[in-house]
Amino acid sequence: MGRFIARRLVQAIPTIFGIMIITFALTRLSPSDPVTIMLGNNPDLTEEDREELREKLGLNDPLPVQFVRYVGDTARLDFGTSFRHNRPAIEVIGERLPNSLQLSVASLLLAIVVSVPLGLIAGVKRGRIADQAIRGVSVLLHAVPLFFLGLLFVLVFGVGLGWFPVGSMNVIGESCFFCWDRVWHMAGPVIIGATGGIAFIPRVLRTEVLEILGQDFVRTARSKGLRERVVLARHVFRNALIPIVTLFGGILTILLGGSVIIEQVFNWPGLGRLLFDAANSKDYPLVQASVLIGSLLLVVSYILRDLAYAWVDPRIKAG
Amino acid sequence: MAAPAVTLRTPAAELARPSIGFWSDALHRIRHDPVTMASLAVLAAMVLLAASADLLAQHVFRFTFTQQDLLRTWEKPTLDEPAYWLGGDNLGRSQVVRVLYGARISLFIGVFGALVSMGMGIALGLTAGYFRGWWDDVVVWLVTTLSNIPILFLLIMIGLYFRLDALSLSILIGMLGWLGIANFARGQTIALRDREYVQAARSVGASAPRIMLRHIFPNIVPLMIVLAMVDIGGIILAESALSYLGFGVQPPQPSWGNMLSGATAFYFKGPHLIVVPGVAITVTVLCLYLVGDGLRDAFDPRLRGSIGVSHGGRNE
Repeated sequence: MGRFIARRLVQAIPTIFGIMIITFALTRLSPSDPVTIMLGNNPDLTEEDREELREKLGLNDPLPVQFVRYVGDTARLDFGTSFRHNRPAIEVIGERLPNSLQLSVASLLLAIVVSVPLGLIAGVKRGRIADQAIRGVSVLLHAVPLFFLGLLFVLVFGVGLGWFPVGSMNVIGESCFFCWDRVWHMAGPVIIGATGGIAFIPRVLRTEVLEILGQDFVRTARSKGLRERVVLARHVFRNALIPIVTLFGGILTILLGGSVIIEQVFNWPGLGRLLFDAANSKDYPLVQASVLIGSLLLVVSYILRDLAYAWVDPRIKAG
Repeated sequence: MAAPAVTLRTPAAELARPSIGFWSDALHRIRHDPVTMASLAVLAAMVLLAASADLLAQHVFRFTFTQQDLLRTWEKPTLDEPAYWLGGDNLGRSQVVRVLYGARISLFIGVFGALVSMGMGIALGLTAGYFRGWWDDVVVWLVTTLSNIPILFLLIMIGLYFRLDALSLSILIGMLGWLGIANFARGQTIALRDREYVQAARSVGASAPRIMLRHIFPNIVPLMIVLAMVDIGGIILAESALSYLGFGVQPPQPSWGNMLSGATAFYFKGPHLIVVPGVAITVTVLCLYLVGDGLRDAFDPRLRGSIGVSHGGRNE
């Protein structure tokens, strides 16, 4: 296992390198000059002042030198300073990240709790009405934009029926991370976030169940007289659930990508919302840091996924 | 008594069926698939309406998409006046007309973006799978890198640095959306490149481009058409999300996404302003996905459930 972990970590290096090239290149290709952005069009500043700042920021160095400095800064967890908050970007992001992760983890759990029974039923009842219905719902959920679903949810359950709050994380005056008030506020974003997973996990499980039902060991189990229920529970479902582990990484991609949308609809102060606000106030360093940190999170989640998969299914390690 | 006149029919004559080609067989299957036909009809109607947006706006609704009527803000949908069939927005603009022009933008970005991503995905996937070696490594590296960046994050960042219009937006989304297609084209190419008929072509001296285009590519065309449908849908979704956030198509140009961008203000005064554009996006994307699934089943019934929406996941 140690060697597998090491190999997987080494594999992540070129990916991280690629991500950094993209974020770096975008910033440098941008037609807007960083110095003008920082200073605005302040008439008190002469061209010499600007040139001095440019020199100080290292913007006159050759691009490769700038890139190496960017990599070095990132390695020391220096992601630049936010214009608007006037603090290190990593600090601002660090405050918001737990809120996003809380939402993502809860959405992930809900998606799995709902999807697993649906997928198993669809596989066992192949071709029946239940299977058709699950297929139909999954295609529909794929086609609905998340933000539209979220807006509808707020419109019906928030504004219309008043069951759930319309936005934010806590009632005014209260501020807690684990409490019923938070759960109540989380219901909307979590349900909408989970639909991303519910749209496709059942389909994956269904395929898996169908494949396993055709295996020899299932026939053996049946032929030795096991009741169908036992065959399904002990032999089919246990094996079919293995790939759930691999879905974690993919779902996290969807959740993180969707976080901008969901946090915007439900006014949830997480990473996505931070990126949105930063982009609207032209806080370039914070935008760049959010994209980079969001990507690094994905890299880590993919590594964890692969390790978990190798742990559950030893065949993977060999491959 | 005369023997009854029996015409002998050979089993062979009874079984004989005109041989039909791959495409006409697929066409036959689609014609007998009501869901796919209905979805195609909806899409055709959508394209037609979008194409005639100018005519309809001028002669039926008598409203342009920027024309305001501040006396009729938040107008509820009414049958009295064609322009307000679907109600008016916060500035009293005609929602029918704006949805029609939004259809133009969404469909254009979807189709053009899909062309870009299909082109890139097929070119990179085919060549990577055929040549292998360092080029394959580069393509795989690109795919891994891009799939580790939350695409919506990246699009917002790019939207901040560059002013995007519909054309550059569709090219951009297309350039970030080719990963699945490239993976698929690459996998198929690797599976086919050592088949006997490809070896035969190689042994008579066919060049690499010829083998790729004439011998490998035709094999993946049907599945690429299926993926294209899913791709158009995914790109329409991505564009609408980006425009909803305000980093995509810019007002006053209406798009289905940016019509929803001020939506929080609509909750109390005009729920129709949320429902109409949202339903327009959903129906369009749903029909594209259903057509994709229908085509997949028509091209090869054995593939039922293997690729398409059930495989790809969201493009967000």
